[in-house]
Amino acid sequence: MDGTALTLIAPPKGIFDEMLDGDARHARTHYRAYADWLGSATVESMAAKRAEADLIFRRIGITFSVYGDESGTERLIPSDVVPRIIAASEWAALERGLVQRVTAINRFLADIYHAQEILKAGLIPEDQILANDQFQVAMIGMRVPHDTYAHIVGVDIVRHNDGHYYVLEDNLRVPSGVSYMLSNRKMMMRLFPDLFRRYSVRPVEHYPALLLQTLRAAAEVDNPTVVLLTPGRFNSAYFEHTFLAQQMGIELVEGQDLFVKDGFVYMRTTSGPQRVDVIYRRLDDSFLDPLAFRPDSLLGVAGLLAAYRLGNVVIANAVGTGVADDKSIYPYVPDMVRFYLGEEPILKNVPTWQCRKPEDLGYVLAHLPELVVKEVHGAGGYGMLVGPTSSKDEIERFRKVLEANPTNYIAQPTLALSSCPTFVEEGVAPRHIDLRPFVLVGRDVRIVPGGLTRVALRKGSLVVNSSQGGGTKDTWVVDVDQDGAPAAGPADAAQSQSQSQSQGAARGAGAAQSSAGGEA
Amino acid sequence: MLSRVAGHLYWLSRYLERAENMARILDVGQSLALLSGRPGDEAAAIEPLVITETLDAFRATGKPATPENAARFLAWDPAHPSSIANCLEASRENARAVRGAITSEMWETINDTWLQLQARRRSGREPIETEFFDWVKERSHLFRGVTFATIRRDQPYDFIRLATFIERADNTARILSVKQARNPAGEGGDSVTDYYSLSAVLRSVSSLESYRDTYRDAIDVRRVAELLIFSPQLPRSLRFCFDEIQRILARLPQEAGRSARRLAAIIHAGLAHGDLDDVYEVGLHRFLDRFLRDNMGLGAAIHAGYMEMK
Repeated sequence: MDGTALTLIAPPKGIFDEMLDGDARHARTHYRAYADWLGSATVESMAAKRAEADLIFRRIGITFSVYGDESGTERLIPSDVVPRIIAASEWAALERGLVQRVTAINRFLADIYHAQEILKAGLIPEDQILANDQFQVAMIGMRVPHDTYAHIVGVDIVRHNDGHYYVLEDNLRVPSGVSYMLSNRKMMMRLFPDLFRRYSVRPVEHYPALLLQTLRAAAEVDNPTVVLLTPGRFNSAYFEHTFLAQQMGIELVEGQDLFVKDGFVYMRTTSGPQRVDVIYRRLDDSFLDPLAFRPDSLLGVAGLLAAYRLGNVVIANAVGTGVADDKSIYPYVPDMVRFYLGEEPILKNVPTWQCRKPEDLGYVLAHLPELVVKEVHGAGGYGMLVGPTSSKDEIERFRKVLEANPTNYIAQPTLALSSCPTFVEEGVAPRHIDLRPFVLVGRDVRIVPGGLTRVALRKGSLVVNSSQGGGTKDTWVVDVDQDGAPAAGPADAAQSQSQSQSQGAARGAGAAQSSAGGEA
Repeated sequence: MLSRVAGHLYWLSRYLERAENMARILDVGQSLALLSGRPGDEAAAIEPLVITETLDAFRATGKPATPENAARFLAWDPAHPSSIANCLEASRENARAVRGAITSEMWETINDTWLQLQARRRSGREPIETEFFDWVKERSHLFRGVTFATIRRDQPYDFIRLATFIERADNTARILSVKQARNPAGEGGDSVTDYYSLSAVLRSVSSLESYRDTYRDAIDVRRVAELLIFSPQLPRSLRFCFDEIQRILARLPQEAGRSARRLAAIIHAGLAHGDLDDVYEVGLHRFLDRFLRDNMGLGAAIHAGYMEMK
């Protein structure tokens, strides 16, 4: 082998590693083929692959904007070249759990905006729903097509050191990141075709097609016109908006492209006004309609909510879904599964202390150094405290903030997020990861296998958000045989692309081609 | 297609064509200054400024009118809205706003152009040599080629092409207009200067070879004008541009384009059925002036019809 051998660094004790088993000596069954392959890779070969990936990502312009960072308005989210691999059997259980969870959440949303049975049953305190900022009074009693509120859901899942998966958060408003899932796959297939011959990796490339089907199914008219509503190119997820619109072949519209007339929504086109039936909005509720919500919003469409209430346009996700992914409502999701479906929840919740309850607050204040404390409405890793990695000063400062406004916070034990081998300075080292599968609710609930794996690139860090130094990984769901051998893909799929010039001409050019190192 | 998107596509294309034209003018202007053996000639130095009607803006910088200062202003000055650097940036910004409406190859080409431009700027060297102008032309050619090879023949393609030909016709008319002012027909004058000056006109619009093939004779200002105004074969002639513009407008939505189509048809008729005698009857300079005004009016009509929010 030419080059420097890779150093494979073992995970610290007490951490569940996705690749290495309990004693950190052997690769788990579904990682065995990858570990073998890694044994033959070098620092130089991996670095070269990573450089190639960076170059291509930058050229394609897969960037995101960091709020509050004036200099680097466009930054690359680092994409690691080591995949996160999930065995198909494990994925099957996750998938069942996700379908169950998202189904229950949609039932919950339909319920609280109509009969409110769950409140009558006393399972959730009324004021926690009715006084919630995210509860939209305008949605009370309004029927949405097929009773679907959350069409697109990104569920954040982590694995604890007990080996079990836990749901951290249900993102029901405008979950993002799916473009990274798709780009990572494209990149990995380009960089490591040999690995895709060793494994049969379940495809994810059909996500945009599924999304379009989901959005079309959300309408009640035939052949609906679907558009994607973006806040515009200064939004941090703008790349994703353009990417998805292009992949689905639908118009990417800004608020200024739409208008409401006689209760219907139209877009301004070069051929005049055109009716819009479904809006896949990547804009928060409060910006949707300056007449109904924030009057200072320049991003929305005046009169949109009125058209929506008339049933003349579908908005996905529906207005008012945020009340169900609020961190103060999160603790009740397992109860929702039991209440609406009569089933035991398949996916676990992380134990959560609600600081609004005096007894919980007391516990949290006494155990700050070992807990994670989050804002109820926070997102993106901002405004939170990770006790074990914070200094005394930081903890004391946070204590004051918490005491001043306890209802605004929840606390959870610090989970020992599982680690996954990641190519970094020191070699291939364990870094903490999470997983965001994307759940689509149309006529059925569908999930492309895997999702987006986010990785905390700093050693020991548990914060995977891209705004806080996180990166991403391609996520493989692989079929593995009982004996640990990957289910064979088409044996050596390198089909020779031998259609070329006539044999004579090819022979004549043979010498030149081989000296130029042409493709075989 | 969204009106806003049509606007972005149109401007992305116009800015890119403008950058290319600027590079052509500067490149030829510089080699001309060397060839003419009169490097200190202020008239030659400011010619690119006259062509682009930016003489006043340049004078406002307070810099002496040397070929180098003029070139640096037109190629790199951040305060000059139509400098090559600003055009490439504006082109990329327009593309960025409508990434979903162009192919990924088109976006990558234009983004890569911008990244390379940043690298040149960061290196501290803001080159005004042939190598840079060749690079600008090449990037423009590349984008056009990628566009031709990858995008569906639909409205986005049409608006991109429409912009190219509006901008290009403007540029050809400007170059011709300024050059003829310095070389009025039949005034005799310095035949060597004439030769270089006129061949420079032709080279700046990639037409020197065409001229030779067509006339097989000495370069004469009337023939140059005939070629650049009336030739249906030359991709940078006014006639050629308007053949394309008319074809494109015929394909675009009819209702919104009524006024643009009417204006284009009038301009086109003059180019398709007129000849050099018509031009010299009013005078080449006035003819070109009127053309520039009409072409601008057409641009405004296209804007009002397809791109403005009503």
